[in-house]
Amino acid sequence: MALIPKETLIFERSIPGKTGMDLPRLDVPVAKDTRPAHLKRQSFEAMPEVSEVDVVRHFTRLSRWNFGVDDGMYPLGSCTMKHNPRLNEKVASLPGFTESHPMAPAKHVQGNLSLMWTLQEWLKEITGLGAVTLHPAAGAHGELTGVMLIRAYHISKGAKRSIILIPDSAHGTNPATATMAGYTCVEVPSQADGTISFDDVSDSHTGKSKKGLLSLIKEHGREIAGIMITNPNTVGIFEYRIAEIAGMLHEIDALIYMDGANMNALVGVARPGDFGVDVIHLNLHKTFSTPHGGGGPGSGPVACTAVLEPFLPLPVVVRTPNGFELDWNRPRSIGKMHSYFGNFAMEIRAMAYCLSHGSDGLRDATLRAIVNANYIRKRLEGVYHLQYSTPTLHEVVFDDNNQSKHGVTTLDIAKGLIDRGFHPPTIYFPLVIHGALMIEPTESESKAELDAFVEAMANIAKEAETNPESIRQSPAKAPIGRLDETTAARKPILKWTS
Amino acid sequence: MRYLPLAPAENQALLDVIGVKSPEDLLCGIPEPLRLKKPLNLPQSSSELDVLRQLEEMAGQNTKFSSRFLGAGAYAHFVPSAIDMLTSRQEWFTAYTPYQPEISQGTLQHIFEYQTLICDLTGLDVSNASMYDGGTACVEAALLAVRVQKKKNTILVSSGLHPHYQEVISTNIAPHDGLKLVRVELKDGVTDLEDLKAKLTQDVACFLAGYPNFLGCIEDTAAISAVTKPAGALLVSVTQESMSLGWLEAPGKSGADMACGEAMSFGNSTSFGGPFLGYLAVKDGHKREMPGRIVGQTQDLNGKRGFVLTLASREQHIRRDKATSNICSNQALVALRANIFLQLAGPEGLKGLAMQNAAKAQYLQSKLIETGKFETVFAAPYFNEFVLRYKGSANVLHEACLARGILPGLLLDQYYKSLADCMLWCATELNTKQEIDELAAFVASMKA
Repeated sequence: MALIPKETLIFERSIPGKTGMDLPRLDVPVAKDTRPAHLKRQSFEAMPEVSEVDVVRHFTRLSRWNFGVDDGMYPLGSCTMKHNPRLNEKVASLPGFTESHPMAPAKHVQGNLSLMWTLQEWLKEITGLGAVTLHPAAGAHGELTGVMLIRAYHISKGAKRSIILIPDSAHGTNPATATMAGYTCVEVPSQADGTISFDDVSDSHTGKSKKGLLSLIKEHGREIAGIMITNPNTVGIFEYRIAEIAGMLHEIDALIYMDGANMNALVGVARPGDFGVDVIHLNLHKTFSTPHGGGGPGSGPVACTAVLEPFLPLPVVVRTPNGFELDWNRPRSIGKMHSYFGNFAMEIRAMAYCLSHGSDGLRDATLRAIVNANYIRKRLEGVYHLQYSTPTLHEVVFDDNNQSKHGVTTLDIAKGLIDRGFHPPTIYFPLVIHGALMIEPTESESKAELDAFVEAMANIAKEAETNPESIRQSPAKAPIGRLDETTAARKPILKWTS
Repeated sequence: MRYLPLAPAENQALLDVIGVKSPEDLLCGIPEPLRLKKPLNLPQSSSELDVLRQLEEMAGQNTKFSSRFLGAGAYAHFVPSAIDMLTSRQEWFTAYTPYQPEISQGTLQHIFEYQTLICDLTGLDVSNASMYDGGTACVEAALLAVRVQKKKNTILVSSGLHPHYQEVISTNIAPHDGLKLVRVELKDGVTDLEDLKAKLTQDVACFLAGYPNFLGCIEDTAAISAVTKPAGALLVSVTQESMSLGWLEAPGKSGADMACGEAMSFGNSTSFGGPFLGYLAVKDGHKREMPGRIVGQTQDLNGKRGFVLTLASREQHIRRDKATSNICSNQALVALRANIFLQLAGPEGLKGLAMQNAAKAQYLQSKLIETGKFETVFAAPYFNEFVLRYKGSANVLHEACLARGILPGLLLDQYYKSLADCMLWCATELNTKQEIDELAAFVASMKA
């Protein structure tokens, strides 16, 4: 950034008497004040008084402190920071969609319902599963919905179960979700190749033995409601024994939940429904290119087998001879998960992504994402340490083993990348790899971008040996230096006060 | 394919470096029998123009109404032009959760400002970075109450709370053995305080009531608080139409312990119900039990003010199965729209706009009553939404309005059996006097 703008908090710019909004001329009588005296709004303590000019400059300047996907490669592993097509933004803002009301009768929102139904059909074909709900507003919300379908399934069979198995490489939302859905989590260890261990393993640090999948199934049996598997897992490795795992769990009538965060590695190449998955969430904001928005809104549709369909959240979009309708009459449904139908405008964007790519483009995108990740892996293997030699798909997870010898950690490497013009990868995750650097380039990167990234990474590795202090001092070119997170948490200042 | 930036020769160069002949060779980690053997049974790729046409056609299949009088949790308000312009900057909409604070200060400062404004609107101490929507915000508020009110297992909700929010709460507490959801009856459109008192047993963790409630009636937070406090239950004030907070006192200042709800009204369209903006604010003592992201102020090593995600030890990526919630992605960009909206409006703008909403609704009510076809149902004060009983068949009127290109108020008997032929009418600053007069004239022309 050649010129880093300065900007205050908006509250510090406030000058009484300014405004950024002129009200329309009131064409009806002024409101009678019907409020009880003690419920009248008295004052605001922070709300700023600023002009439109102030506000526009404020947010323009603040924006320049952010790094976005259009600034360059943003290889956050597991987050799939791919290009956000501008067409998708355009179609999501068509007035026919934006002005539609969620409580309007179905007859008057046929376009919306048609879009939702069509997207559901695409997602069914892509996942190889029998039914889809678009209601979940984000990935974690999809997980919760999916696990609640599993719960409803077991209750319908008269046997509530108590345990969800979760691999130790799982995203933190998986165990948090299982808890929210009323389950106890039992962790399944990884084995030496980075996949789920069937056998007991002894912890290399503590020497303690951890039960593998077989022992856990034996121990907990029909208390197990299901397993939450990310596939490919968070290390980018396909759980190649997934069909076997599904077989063993189905034997005890436990179900397979797949965290679809890494579905960008599989679209058009393999289908979860074909390898035994019963329920999966997809992240439209990852695999289907809807923008991440600085942390949301996302969208986390859930696909499931026909067996689980009766439990889907209310209401369900159905096609009838008279057009599309919302089916509320589903007595076995888990109930409502969202106030309306999920983040609809994200569904529009994902539909545009699907239509643009088509069957051929979807597979092509997957293959290119895999090629890009493997290119980075190949070029940086040796420079950075790789814990697992197992083949990987759309992402590669290095660690700081080679650099920590010189006192340069994963955090330093990440900050060093900032000075070289790249957004850092996901760091210190998954937990099974100490000092993880999880790199997911996506299919959106050209060879030139990939090469520049590889060179930056190689340069950091070299400087770690020759001038480690320079890496530890980075970033130097960002709008701000490293921040004191400890004090932030110890003495929290969570809002502005005058 | 326009989104894939690799020329065939470059593609080959990559494969050569990797040392494989074709991309398919890289699928070796997936057992062969598990791979898809045929193309997905979906249409082929399309040009931008073709996709645009297809989606324009879908958008065109929705009825375009000449006027809208429907709220019920999704309110049509004016969206200032600056909001679309600013949020379409790629720095805002393409970035992700601000994991790297040095290159995410824009998003972090925005969220800090948003948190400040939510605290200001609600009169409470701490806001998080946003929730998915009003319904899920209620769930998180209720679960938070259960966490801090150890050993209490009952969640009380007013029957006047948005029925969908009630259903979302019900769905989400179902998996928790021992948690109970109990509804409190309404009297004259607001929470029946006698019924509330009777149901406030020592097991009650919290009570959630709308402010204004689903029927548009303004609940008396102070009076409710006077009942919940002695019983040791936390009062959660739920606002589904946040524009009303420019008209009504901050819930935290009239006795609410928590405030949550839907803030889509600030700078967003109704967009078929999403993305919307859930918010949640609590008192300082509950901050470490909050779900979701929170941004805090700190300094960099040179003493320069900056912002970071903080109190992360509550969250799923650290605490895993012991986290306060599983929420990860939230509604940051929708919160940005609300933040811009509130900054543009300022205190006077918001109060003025809220007053205009009240004025439009009062005018709408007076015109509909004047037709002689409607009668009022509740005496409680309202903001921009109110219930009227139609003296004929409300279903017939509803259909007639739709056929006329008017999106009428909500038919309430689907949610409240006792409210047959009652409709929930809404007016905002977008409804002109002319629209309202035309609606009234149309209603007057209906055969009773």
